[in-house]
Amino acid sequence: MDDFERELTRMMREGRAHTPFDPGRRARLYDGIRARRRTRVLVRAGGSALAVAGLSVGLAFLPHLGSGPAPADLPLPATGSTAPPRSGGPTGAASATADPSTSLPPPDSTESGTPGGSTTTGPPMTDPGSTASGSVSPGTTEAGTSTPDVNGAPTYPPPSG
Amino acid sequence: MQRFRADGFDEFVAARWSALLHVARLLTGGDRQRAEDLVQESLVKLWFAWPKVAEQAPEAYVRQVLVRLAARSARRRWWGERPVGELPDRPGPGDVSAAVAERSRLEAALALLTPRQRAAVVLRYYEDLPEGQVAQALGCPVGTARSHASRGVARLREILSDSARPVK
Repeated sequence: MDDFERELTRMMREGRAHTPFDPGRRARLYDGIRARRRTRVLVRAGGSALAVAGLSVGLAFLPHLGSGPAPADLPLPATGSTAPPRSGGPTGAASATADPSTSLPPPDSTESGTPGGSTTTGPPMTDPGSTASGSVSPGTTEAGTSTPDVNGAPTYPPPSG
Repeated sequence: MQRFRADGFDEFVAARWSALLHVARLLTGGDRQRAEDLVQESLVKLWFAWPKVAEQAPEAYVRQVLVRLAARSARRRWWGERPVGELPDRPGPGDVSAAVAERSRLEAALALLTPRQRAAVVLRYYEDLPEGQVAQALGCPVGTARSHASRGVARLREILSDSARPVK
């Protein structure tokens, strides 16, 4: 701190005069506090009114939102099996959580994937997620699991709706 | 409830009113009416925050509010003043003295600084605060507060040396 800064400090501090906090100033201060409190109350009341109005508008629109189709009416999402139902064939319901190793064709399949000239039209066994587009003989898998039903009837999920 | 809220508030205000008013006067460049308004507004804000800050650092809180209000009011073009027929307080005969002249010179010089420079100089040299607390009150990094203070002092040096230069 150089001489000028010391002089500046002295000038600032010497000019200080004692000003008492008299009752007039105290009354003015508390008037200001009351006015500020009123303002805050009004602002809060206005905010609450706005919140209530917003909620009311939201609730007024809510019944319209609730009149849409119920979740049970919505079409089920595709799970990977797009084969049409066939009687006597394997179940077409493919489980999305099925183990890919279960997609092996049964041993009596005539279209076993032997590497040498057989004409398999099913999907490759290592790609359980793909869908078959060609004709599939009974006993072959398309996608996902395909275990033959003991009754020979397809086990598709019941139609909803 | 109100008694609980204001517990110790009156004592704090009575003890610190004069010092706060002087700081506000320096922050406004000698404008006494505006200084009183700033102190009043700062103390109103302090009253609402009193339950939180009473046990901690009420003076630091009110100083920070004062500095920010002073900076904000310096940007205003009009402070709610209204013309009156008579002056509310006239200078007494004892006011014309060397001390008052020096104070007026200092306040006039402070008034030529920017609000942030003025606040930095007042907090650093009058309140003798460390740079970290000056920066906290100004709401800026320490380097910026240091820069404001050094530029403010340089400007004051220039102004006061010009005004003290003898007339040829």
